[in-house]
Order: sequence, then C-alpha cells, then structure tokens
Amino acid sequence: MPLARRNLFKDKTRLALSVGGVALAVMLILLLNGLLSGMYAQISAYLEHAPGTLVVAQDGVTNLLGATSLLPPGTLGDVKAKGASRVVPLLSQFAILDLHGKKQPVYLVGYERARGGGPWQLAAGREPRRDTEVAFDRVLAERHGLTLGDKVEIMDRDFTIVGLSEGTTSWMTSFIFIRKTAAENLMRAPGATSFLLVTPSDRLTAAQLRERLSHLSNVEVLFKREMIANDLKLFARLLSAPLQLMVGIAFLVGTLIVGLVIYTATVERQREYGVLRAIGARNAMLYQVVATQAVIASGAGSALGVGLALGSAELIMKLRPQFLIVIEPAMITRALIVGLAMALLAALFPARIIAGLAPAEVFRK
Amino acid sequence: MLRLAYRNLFQNKTRLAISVGGAALALMLILSLDAVMAGVERQVTAYIDYSGADIFVAQDGVRNMHMASSSLAASVASQVKAVPGVASVTPILYLTNVVDLGEARNLAYVIGLPPRPVVGGPWRVVAGKSAPSVGEAVIDHGIAEKSGVGLGDEVKILGEEFTVVGLSEGTATLVNSVAFISKQDFAEVRGDSRTVSFLLVKVKPGESPEAVAARIEAWLNKVTAQTRQEFAAQERKVINDMSTDVITIMNLVGFLIGLAVMALTVYTATLARRAEYGVLKALGARNGHLYRAVLAQALISVLLGFGLGLAFTLLLSAAVPRLGLNLALKVSGESLLKVGGVSLVIAGLSAVLPVRQIAGLDPAMVFRR
Repeated sequence: MPLARRNLFKDKTRLALSVGGVALAVMLILLLNGLLSGMYAQISAYLEHAPGTLVVAQDGVTNLLGATSLLPPGTLGDVKAKGASRVVPLLSQFAILDLHGKKQPVYLVGYERARGGGPWQLAAGREPRRDTEVAFDRVLAERHGLTLGDKVEIMDRDFTIVGLSEGTTSWMTSFIFIRKTAAENLMRAPGATSFLLVTPSDRLTAAQLRERLSHLSNVEVLFKREMIANDLKLFARLLSAPLQLMVGIAFLVGTLIVGLVIYTATVERQREYGVLRAIGARNAMLYQVVATQAVIASGAGSALGVGLALGSAELIMKLRPQFLIVIEPAMITRALIVGLAMALLAALFPARIIAGLAPAEVFRK
Repeated sequence: MLRLAYRNLFQNKTRLAISVGGAALALMLILSLDAVMAGVERQVTAYIDYSGADIFVAQDGVRNMHMASSSLAASVASQVKAVPGVASVTPILYLTNVVDLGEARNLAYVIGLPPRPVVGGPWRVVAGKSAPSVGEAVIDHGIAEKSGVGLGDEVKILGEEFTVVGLSEGTATLVNSVAFISKQDFAEVRGDSRTVSFLLVKVKPGESPEAVAARIEAWLNKVTAQTRQEFAAQERKVINDMSTDVITIMNLVGFLIGLAVMALTVYTATLARRAEYGVLKALGARNGHLYRAVLAQALISVLLGFGLGLAFTLLLSAAVPRLGLNLALKVSGESLLKVGGVSLVIAGLSAVLPVRQIAGLDPAMVFRR
C-alpha cells in the first residue's frame, strides 16, 4: 500500500490529470443519465398531474405525445354512462411557435376549466377564461422575455398570456394551455376531443371500468401509467441510444486515462519492480501494488466526479432552466461501481508488464 | 523538430494508440451525431422533397408539417386554382397517427389523397398501386415487411381497417413512416369534410413558384403559401432548433473527452522525455523549438485521431442502413470543418501543460545524475 501510494503521488501533475480524467468521465456519465432521467420526468409531468386514472384515446393511439388522437363523437357521454364519476375532455396536439426567429414546439392542451386538465400550478396570473387567452409555460416565457399581458401568435390567432404555469417545461417541448373551444377554433374542429381523462365512480375499480369501456367501439382505453410508459418508450427510442453511446465512450475514455497513468507509472518503475521480484516478491503482491494505484486514482476521481456532476447539474439548470437533471442516489452508486470497474480494467495492462518481467533483467545494466 | 516529434510519438506505440484512439472516439462522437442529424433532416423533408408540388399552401401561421397541424376551408382550393400561374391544386389531409399492423404499431404521417392526385402521393412504389381508393392504403414496404404484412392484408389506420394495396419505398424514418389513404376515408373518420390540411400547388410552365406563392398570399386571406424549398427549409429549421441545445451538449462532451485524453498523453510523453529535452536545451535548443516539437506531437496525434474517427463514422454510415434501422447518416462538409477546428483547439490546449513544463526545465539538471 505505501509503495502504491508513493508511486502514484510521486508525480503530482500526472496524478491530478488522471484523477481529473476519471472525474470528468464519471461526471459525464452521471450528467447524461441525469439528463435522461430528468427528460423522462418532464415528459410524464402532464399525465402525472392530470386528473383521472384512465385515459380514453382514439383506437390505435397508445400515447399522449406521439400521435394525434380524435375520438368518435359522443364518446364522452358513453364513458359517463359506463360508470365514470369524472370525465375530463381534452383537445390537444403539438404546435410550432415562431419565437424570436426560433421554432419552438409546444404541446397545446385545450381544456375546460370547470372539468379540469389545465395547469396544476400557476407561478403567476390565472387560467384562461376567454378563447383569446393562454396559460404559458413560465420557463419558456422567461427564455423569450414574455410576461403576463404579452401577445403570442399560435398558428393563425393571437393569444394574450394570462397565466404562467410551473412544472410544465421541457427542453424539447413545453406544455401550454388554452380553452378547449379555442383549440377547436384553431384546429377548425368544432366539438372535437382528443383524449378523455377518466375517474371511476366509487362503485367501480379502475380495472372494472376499463373492462367496461373496452367494449366501446373505436376507442383505446389505457391506465394513465401505461400511457406514460408508452410516451417514455417513444422518446427513449429517440434519445437513449445516442446518450448511452456517449456514456459508453465516457467509460472507455476514463479507463484509458487511468490505464495510461498506471501504465506509465509502472513502466517508469520497471526496474524497481524487477528488483522486488529478484528479492522474492510474488507476482500477486506486485499486481496488488498496481491495482491499488488504479483504485486510488479512480476512487478519488469518482468521488470528485460525483461532486462535479452535482455542482454542474445545479449550474446547468440555473443557466438553462428548460433542462431538468435528476441525479438519484442509485445513479451515484452505479457511477462509483463504474469507477471501480475502470480501475480494475485499467490495471490489467500494467499487470501484464509485471508478469512478463524477468527478475534478472535488473542486474543486466 | 517535426522528426523529433514524430520519433517521440511513435517510440511508445501503446501510448500513441491510447492517444489516437481516445481522440478518435471523442471526435467520432461529434461527427456521428452531426451525421445522424444531417440524415434526420434529409429524411424529415422526404415527403415534401418528393411530393412533386411547387408550392405548399397552409393555414396562416403554419409553416411546416412536422409536429404541426393545418386546417383550411375546402373552398380555399378553388380560390387558389383561380390565382394566375396556378396549373393544378391537390388538397390533402394530414395528421400524425398510428398504423396498426397487428403485432406492431408504427407512428406515421397519414396523408389523405384525393382520387388521381396530380402530386402528393407516394413517389416510389415497389408493389401494388400508388393511389389508394376508398378502404385502401399504401404503406411503407420496410414497415410492412417487418410485420409480415403484404398486399391484400388488413391494417388499421386512424382506428379503421384498410386493405394494403401498395407498398412504397423511402417513406420511413427512425421514428415514423408515411401512410397514404383516400381523402374520403380520412374525412369520414375525422367526421369533417369541410376542411383540408394543405394544398399542393403545381405552377404553369414558365411561372416562378416564388412569384405565384406571393400572389396566392396576396389574393387570399389567412393562408401561408411557401415554395417547396422554403417549406422544406422551415421543416429542417424545426429539427435544427429543437436539437441545438442537445447538439451543443454532445459537442462539449466530445470536446472535453478529447481534451482530457490528449492533455494526458502529450503530458506523459513529454514527461518521459524530460531528460532528453534538458539535453537539447543544454545543447542550445531554444524553448520555441521545443514548444513546436510538443505542439507537433499533439497535432499529429489529433490528426490521426480525426482520420480514424472519420473512418469509423463513415463505416457506421455504411453499416447502419444494413442493420434495418430507418436511419441515414450523412457526413457533411460543414461538420468536417467544425470537427477539424475542434481538433486544432484540442491539440493547442493539450500542449499547454507540457510547454509550461519545458519552459521550467533547467538545462543543468541533465548533468546532475
């Protein structure tokens, strides 16, 4: 142990670079996973907070954010008749806003204030009461210098911002809220409904009501949690592959960095290792010296990386509030294990050098 | 000095491999992401590019198709037809929905086509017919093949059953595909035959699409008329603006990774040759010469990494379509320039620490041991 420590601490700059390299890799892994996890939380925010336990959509539509849903006329009455205590109709779909020359996708939710389905927390103002009013996502509004009373163009109509909603942002698309009748006007679809958020009456469980509703024609009935899972699956298909690729590269690079430092430190001390072997030190003991160096470098790097990740996450969310980075304790544990794995992998190559070392070599020069 | 840098670099093959490999991985990260985005941009405008229309007319304020919806009164079609310079008007209905192929469900741009459409239909049909009649659908052949669906089979679109009568090509992306049904079916399912989504306009020979588009906007109230190129550019802008932040993050990640690897390898390479640099200084070599040698090492490593990263990305671009993924990677000149610039910055920054080390080197030190 003292030998490993001395070997490692002999060149402070190299040690700092290796600890920094591992810290960078661990930080990246944590930040990327945190970003993915935050994105999932943002995507599911609306359904998580919306009323009801069941969602009724057009037949074949199984997610909120993937496809446009249009329910057959009269579905609301049918659902009520099957034993729902509360039915919230929504007319929703994506829209592209032009804000300061930038295209900004938003998810437009048309809802009836009396029935629910609107913003669950307002940072300022109130819910829309007229067809020309909108409750805008607070973060998106701040990013574009918009505030209460400002006008914003949605498709071919001007809306006045009367409320700023909290918790409705996402870096891909934020939620904005208008009256359902306003949405019908925008989409030239009078009386149209996309989804129904359904709460069963006291006499029925959600599963029983679902079973009853499944007999309605041309509709899809899902538990809210199923729809959330489907939305997450859709976005995961888009984003998790590149993010996982980056996590993989960060791991590989972290391993390379520790490997390089330990390798150089071992090669530099090759003669000393030879002496140790010549005076009877076993290979296992020398491997231990190499592995200990790797574990110290990667342990310190991992700990620093966790700290850096937490700090950078705070900073990123402050500078770019549309990003939510959720670093959970399980992720930190995983990152520390990853750090250890980097160390062990990195120690493999230097260990091979020691294994091939001839004890007599030290006496040759 | 270049020879010294070259020898220093190639003397330790393992270190060279690590430094080149690390830089290659980092630069590949930036290159491949750019390539994916360029490919997605090309795919997302496929319908527009191959529609055959010269002008797209949409609801006022609607400038693209992706994640957007447009509604125009059906009567607008005849008004547009009356505008001088317009040869034909093809009204289509459009929304993003699901093609239910039994086991699998695929997100799709569903296009409702009028009978015998002049433009706007599938541009390459590998089997069957291209214009669906009532109760019929044309879907992407790759999507159909994956689910074992063929001509004559039933699929569900907008919640209704349709018979597959045509299989199209080039109509699928990583996320969705394009499915064509008749406008009549589309309107019936939606319960509204008074509106259309877009009007696809062909201009008369010799007419400029820009001039006719401007004329349409001037003649008609509350419509947005754009040439095919403008419409496609707006579509690309949606993808670009949506992904800017992510791309910035990924580029930064690639840059930091590349920098960490290069800084460490150039530093350790210089450290290992400290005594030799001391000898050179003792023999009268100027600091400037030695700095150049270090910088040259960093540059050679990064350039080798860049070449390797580019080769990996090109390999990936060739391999991805063969894996059955509906993704087309495209390495653009712009991306090469950007990554080339990033490589130079990495090389320059990674040489800073070793340069400082050489600057502080005492030539007499070499004679001490």
